Amino acid sequence: MTDALKNISLLSLDRVTVNLGQRTFGPFSFAIQPGERVAVLGPSGAGKSTLLKLLARELTPVSGHADFCQSPLKDWSLSDLSRRRAILPQSHEVAFGLPVDLVIGLGRVARMHDPSLASIVQQAAEQACASHLLGRRFDTLSGGEKARVQMARVFAQLWDVEQGLLLVDEPLAALDPGLQFSLMEAIYSFAANRGHAILAILHDINQALQGFERLIFIKHGAMVGDYRTPHVTLPLLEALYNVSLAAAVTEEGEMIVAPSLKRKVVA
Amino acid sequence: MNATAGAISLTSRFTTGLLNRPVWFLSLVLLLCFWVAAWAGAVPVTTNDWLLLWRHDEPLTSGAYVLWNLRLPRMFFAALVGAVLGLSGALTQGLFRNPLADPGLLGVTSGAACAAALTIVVLAGSGIDIPVAWRFWVLPVAAFAGAVGVCLLLDTVARWLTADSIAGLLLTGIALNALAAAIIGLCTYLATDEQLRSLTFWTLGSLAGGSWPLVATLSLLLVAAIWYVRRLVSAMNALALGEAAAAHVGINVRHLRRRVIILVALLCGFSVAWCGVIGFIGLVAPHIVRLVVGPDQRRLAPLAMLVGAIILLVADTTARSVAIPAEIPVGIFTALLGAPFFLVLLTSVRKGS
Repeated sequence: MTDALKNISLLSLDRVTVNLGQRTFGPFSFAIQPGERVAVLGPSGAGKSTLLKLLARELTPVSGHADFCQSPLKDWSLSDLSRRRAILPQSHEVAFGLPVDLVIGLGRVARMHDPSLASIVQQAAEQACASHLLGRRFDTLSGGEKARVQMARVFAQLWDVEQGLLLVDEPLAALDPGLQFSLMEAIYSFAANRGHAILAILHDINQALQGFERLIFIKHGAMVGDYRTPHVTLPLLEALYNVSLAAAVTEEGEMIVAPSLKRKVVA
Repeated sequence: MNATAGAISLTSRFTTGLLNRPVWFLSLVLLLCFWVAAWAGAVPVTTNDWLLLWRHDEPLTSGAYVLWNLRLPRMFFAALVGAVLGLSGALTQGLFRNPLADPGLLGVTSGAACAAALTIVVLAGSGIDIPVAWRFWVLPVAAFAGAVGVCLLLDTVARWLTADSIAGLLLTGIALNALAAAIIGLCTYLATDEQLRSLTFWTLGSLAGGSWPLVATLSLLLVAAIWYVRRLVSAMNALALGEAAAAHVGINVRHLRRRVIILVALLCGFSVAWCGVIGFIGLVAPHIVRLVVGPDQRRLAPLAMLVGAIILLVADTTARSVAIPAEIPVGIFTALLGAPFFLVLLTSVRKGS
């Protein structure tokens, strides 16, 4: 990585490794520019969530350098960090059945003085298609509604920030396709309006191909590829998942990929 | 709008306003409880006794003497201890993200009981001569030290064994509580009949030790705690999102946990040292508030204090006036009065929703 590139990047990892249990993950080396949309793909257990935990600072690197906004990630205070990057988690449970408004407002809990809190909660809920849920208890919501509220919380967290980072951990996998689509659109437009970069862990190859400009492949705990989306080919994806895939091109020219029983993997 | 309708809407607005502001409603109830508690008891108190106290007239009648030196400090002490237990319960439940948690899980009660048992049985049995002036202080000081010590030990050991996991704190707490129970059991086994009796009474809890210096100390402690808790409650709300998500929104869970544990250790440690074990309030006061106004810690913490104060004041008043001249241990009444009330509230809320 050249120094010039490193200087303008929002997040940069330089040969970072991390331990979880008995396993070592990494080395990870990549940089994310402001406003970029990056998807992380890989089979289950490959270390995608571990990478996200590393970026979320839940895990500490054992070697290498992780920088966020040009200063070492470990030097950031949790409170300052929360004003530049937000994380949309995989699970949505909240204890005690807090009211939805409060859950959304908790995105901004680290701000001591926050006069515009109420209006930001309102707008964030609107953006996440959750304004009809305001006033309800979180534990009475369905899975899809919980996902929307958590998304609104993340939006509220980075509402008045520019060029932040949004880490997304496969939050929409359990939702119906229509809702997945509208929520992904909400995330894209939220991030695009503010120049936030998105790094998302995804299982859906098509979602990654359609919505993201860059794909990072992870397998067996290490990074095995980092491609611009147009350069991703079927064999690369087949090698990543060890499965034979078939591709079709839509009338709009988008590639759609699905597992295929008829084709054999070409190694 | 005519005058009658205006008056009606004004009164109804007043009552609904009162119900919408549970702080005022509960404060009124607490005042009412104080009023009743001042008149109840073995020695009858007349209006004349109050006037004597008010005018500082000498000599005091027996009623005025009892009122000033025994009943009033005891009432204030009961309310303060109840408030302390309610607040500690709210904080503990928030920390463990579990409405069934109780300050005892942090080892306060078992630590104090363990130290008290060791003091009553081992220290008294060892034949060490304690100066008379100190005797009164030995048991409370030991119990306080035991409570705070076990709490801090628990936090340190749990951090060491299970990193920063709060589930780890819970499990380590269970182990440490079992260990303390074993020591208490051993002391019980070794105790003489007389020691056994004082140990049992200590365990049942009593507010008879309430005095003005204690009331003043506990008030100061509580005011400091309230000031401190005001800055913690929002972070406690964030903890409901889970430890990881709380850190993502900028809360240092490690610091928060340490602060809550120290606060609960000091508050509960003090109350348990002077009153023995008074169970149930720490569990049920926050629960009652949560059922009525919801789980937002910013409202939960102050209201749990008020509810705790009311429960303990009512329980103690009942305990000392139900079987005059005898006095029944207050711990029996907190459960006896609180449990049915709690059950009624539970069913009515479930039916309502």
